[in-house]
Amino acid sequence: MGTLSLLVFSPFIGLIALLLAGKQSDNITKRIAAFSSLIPLILSILVYAQYQAGSGLSEILRWVQFEVGEQTLTLNYELAVDGFSVILILLTTIIAVLAVFTSSWQIKQNSHLFFMLMFLLEFGILGVFSADNLILFFIFFEITLIPMFFLIGKWGGTDREESAFSYIIYNGLGSMVLLIAIAAIFVTAGTTNFSEAAEYFRTSNEAGLQLGIAIAFLIAFGVKLPIFPLHSWMVKVHVHAPPALVMIHAGVLLKIGAYGLIKFGVGILPASFTTLAPLIAILGLVNLLYGAYLALVQEELRSVLAYSSISHMGIILLGVAALNEAGIQGAIFQSVSHGLISALFFLLVGILLVRTRTTNLRKLSGLARLTPVLAGFFLVAALAGLGLPGMSGFVSEFTVFLGIFENMPVIGAIGTLGIIMTVVYMLRAILKMTYGTYRNMFGDMNDLGMGELIPATILLICIVVIGVYPNTIALTVQQTLETLLVGIGG
Amino acid sequence: MIEFAWLIPALPLLTFLLLIVLREKLKKASGYVAVLISGITFIVATLVFLQLIDVGNFLMEWSWLTIGSIDISFGILLNPLNGLMLLLVAFISFLIHMYSLGYMDGDQRFSTFFAYLSLFTSAMLGLVMSPNLLQFYMFWELVGLGSFLLIGFYFYKNSAKQAAKKAFIMTRIGDVGLLIGLILLFWQTNSLRFVDIYQAVTNGDMSGGMITLIAILIFIGAIGKSGQFPLHTWLPDAMEGPTPVSALIHAATMVAAGVYLVAVMYPLYMASSLAMMIVAIVGAFTAIYAATIGLVQNDLKQVLAYSTISQLGFMMLAMGVLGYTAGIFHLFTHAFFKALLFLAAGSVIHAVHTQNIKEMGGLNQKLKLTSAVFLIGALAISGFPLFSGFFSKEEILASVWAEGQYGLFIIAIVAAFLTSVYMFRLYFLVFHGESKLTLDKVKPVPMTMKIPMMVLALFAIFSGFFNTSWFGTYIADFLEEGATYLEGIHHGSSIWLMLLATVVSLGGIALAYLIYVKNALNQENWKTSGTYQMLLNKYYMDEFYDNTFVKGSRGIGLGFQYVEKYFVRLIILFIGDLVTTFSRTGSKSQTGQAQTYTAVAFLGLVLFAAVYMLKGGY
Repeated sequence: MGTLSLLVFSPFIGLIALLLAGKQSDNITKRIAAFSSLIPLILSILVYAQYQAGSGLSEILRWVQFEVGEQTLTLNYELAVDGFSVILILLTTIIAVLAVFTSSWQIKQNSHLFFMLMFLLEFGILGVFSADNLILFFIFFEITLIPMFFLIGKWGGTDREESAFSYIIYNGLGSMVLLIAIAAIFVTAGTTNFSEAAEYFRTSNEAGLQLGIAIAFLIAFGVKLPIFPLHSWMVKVHVHAPPALVMIHAGVLLKIGAYGLIKFGVGILPASFTTLAPLIAILGLVNLLYGAYLALVQEELRSVLAYSSISHMGIILLGVAALNEAGIQGAIFQSVSHGLISALFFLLVGILLVRTRTTNLRKLSGLARLTPVLAGFFLVAALAGLGLPGMSGFVSEFTVFLGIFENMPVIGAIGTLGIIMTVVYMLRAILKMTYGTYRNMFGDMNDLGMGELIPATILLICIVVIGVYPNTIALTVQQTLETLLVGIGG
Repeated sequence: MIEFAWLIPALPLLTFLLLIVLREKLKKASGYVAVLISGITFIVATLVFLQLIDVGNFLMEWSWLTIGSIDISFGILLNPLNGLMLLLVAFISFLIHMYSLGYMDGDQRFSTFFAYLSLFTSAMLGLVMSPNLLQFYMFWELVGLGSFLLIGFYFYKNSAKQAAKKAFIMTRIGDVGLLIGLILLFWQTNSLRFVDIYQAVTNGDMSGGMITLIAILIFIGAIGKSGQFPLHTWLPDAMEGPTPVSALIHAATMVAAGVYLVAVMYPLYMASSLAMMIVAIVGAFTAIYAATIGLVQNDLKQVLAYSTISQLGFMMLAMGVLGYTAGIFHLFTHAFFKALLFLAAGSVIHAVHTQNIKEMGGLNQKLKLTSAVFLIGALAISGFPLFSGFFSKEEILASVWAEGQYGLFIIAIVAAFLTSVYMFRLYFLVFHGESKLTLDKVKPVPMTMKIPMMVLALFAIFSGFFNTSWFGTYIADFLEEGATYLEGIHHGSSIWLMLLATVVSLGGIALAYLIYVKNALNQENWKTSGTYQMLLNKYYMDEFYDNTFVKGSRGIGLGFQYVEKYFVRLIILFIGDLVTTFSRTGSKSQTGQAQTYTAVAFLGLVLFAAVYMLKGGY
């Protein structure tokens, strides 16, 4: 078993530990969960170091093989990482640790089951980013759906069941479309290995079929990202799922959409994606502006953040549509940056909800008076979200716009309206909540304790490090970027 | 020493981090820490500047962001222009830090104030030292952050909250122009380094139309930051911040960054006469527009704010008519006398706890020093002979005349006249006449506030002599050394212009004296006139923006809310129905939500098989 397999299966350590321990007191359960969540983190750092050192991490195991006519279809258990996935893996394990820590003060009932499902979810996500063939990817992709469904439905807020239902329907349909696309690749290319499939389509001339598969990818990952008008499930999850789960959901799960679009779309079917680029650019614009204007009129912080996520995902689409070095790298940066920033936001939302039980902006007015540190963190998160230089969001927005302006300057110019609107809705929401007159609706409140301050600071440091010195991750993705762009011919 | 130039922005950043983390522990001491470090920063800046005079230029770069074949660096650039700015910013920042010790004494968030002030200083110094446009843009946004935090310092006040938000948004609108210009420039020149951009312009690598477009886009950024028409409305509101902030950020340094930006990109502007023309017209219009508003405002700081907008307009005008040194020179003198005026205003407010000049009067008896330094500032800004403003303003007028822009020249003369009227209206109403306040309410001004005012007063009087046709044009010579692109810019002055400037300045003061001291003119008709109302309401610009852009954006948002409610909802219902129907037919025995999922996956497998059979058949 290689390091990568070890990493992917490492969440089972926590799961099994919890299973063996049985129903213990809350305290013990939480401690077991917290400690075991560190194991994947440590392994992912190891994987990252090995990737940086240039040692081969890929693993391959013969799995199934069957013959159809003259064709031999092989299905292997193949794991590998590239610059993009290794960063997303690191993002996953960091956010997972923080989410588990956060859950320990949010989840009051059935924490035993909650943590087991969290580990199952982490297993699925790590598999998604490590899989080196499409079928394996699909299997892991499906594995993430099940724990998410139960986590939302059982531990969510008021509309938890409806949200879980809507989650599973949208994502189930997305999976179906994805499966069709994968099947089509399997039977035409005779392989589901990423690089082999890419190689096959480079020489084949079935433009119609390729375009069909590309559109299927766009829909399947469009649900996940999400792209307008397939987004309503995601708004529900943002608002009704437990904040600790949303840290993982907004932080990592949505990025599977971006990952898929870049790795499968651009990676395997560059020609078709070049054809689709104008459509993707327009979808990106719609997401960017639609999300931003809706975020401006929300009265609940969580809704603001949900629409803000839609808007920020538009930037990823713009980067993908640019199909050049800057655009793709910007999309990758935006995936990581948005992951960190939304994790920070929902960490803070969790902290806030424990104290106030509401995220209504009007009711929270003047929060800075009572809890200056919490309010300060909210302000910093908002500044990161609106792309302030010195934080990760700026680098990603700038890189994407640099890319889109090379190929589609008009789209880029319209898109800059989004940069203005982001400031407008972010400041409106955060100032409405933290500045102004304090309404004294919640009595006395403690400011951040150490247990809350540390996770928030860790996320903030990650955001600032990327913003101040973006080469920390830029250099890691260069090789991947090169491979992708060879396909486009740029 | 010059290798340590990075310390200059790093030191105030250190203060910021220190004060934010240790604010509970340091309490009162945080002010002293901040003053001490800003003093050291000033010393380092001076040493670096002295060495720069010998070296001429200095550049250090590190790789910052790699994007495939694109490499963007981060670094430090020192040349005459930014060396001068560095010294100016470090010096005034130090004085304002010291002044704040007294002014902010007793404030609950004393440490936080100094932390924010240091953050701003660090960003401003970083901006000045940027060797490329992207780094410049980043610090440009960060000074905006400092400004935002300090405008909203009294966060519990609704007006402060609104003002902070407005400042951020209005300047961001300008910034987007700068950002687009920057990106276009990158795709034209494949670099964002200033030197490479100058080179590309000289080599003629860009088409004329492209140069004009980029120059105008970049100028939009300058309009936002320097409060030029029509993006000026945030600056008067920014007076919600504590007064030392108004002096440092909204008078002496940050708002001048727009002018500085035009100066940094000057080769680009010189290559486009249309862009130059736009800069000159916007500047001249803003100068007179803001001056007229300044005539009728009743809030001490508001008058000064409009005065700042107007003076920045003068600088832009100079830039637009090839008066490069005139513009920078005015930026330099203005920084001293406007900071001085704000500090004096601050000590008035500190003493009497009101900003309404209608409630003041006769303060020259109680606040002798403040009254004297305010008078010095007012004389300097009015261009009173031999005061600093006299020389710099006269040079601007000379540049406009030399360029043959007689229309703009008349506008500038009128604006200069209005400047002395509104400044002396302010002076006479606040310090002369009968006291309307019970004088025992007046608090004494502490030493920490007096010293910075006295130092600035000296500079307000004498800083003009750094660049005169009599004793030597030191600033002009220094700026033009080695900058080949500055050949052909205007200098010089003539006796008749000096006389004209003197007459305008004295005329304005005399008029203000007649109206506000002698009450020689009947003000009743004027105050009931429509013009007066229009000026008092600032030409209704705020109302205009509110009714168009603000309400418009909200309207679009609410419109999308309907799309969300009906159209997107429809899709959910449709998909929901679809799935239910499928799952019913697919597995009648299974019910419930979890099973629906199984049904969908099963359906997927069926399709998988179907596709497989279709394609595998041949």
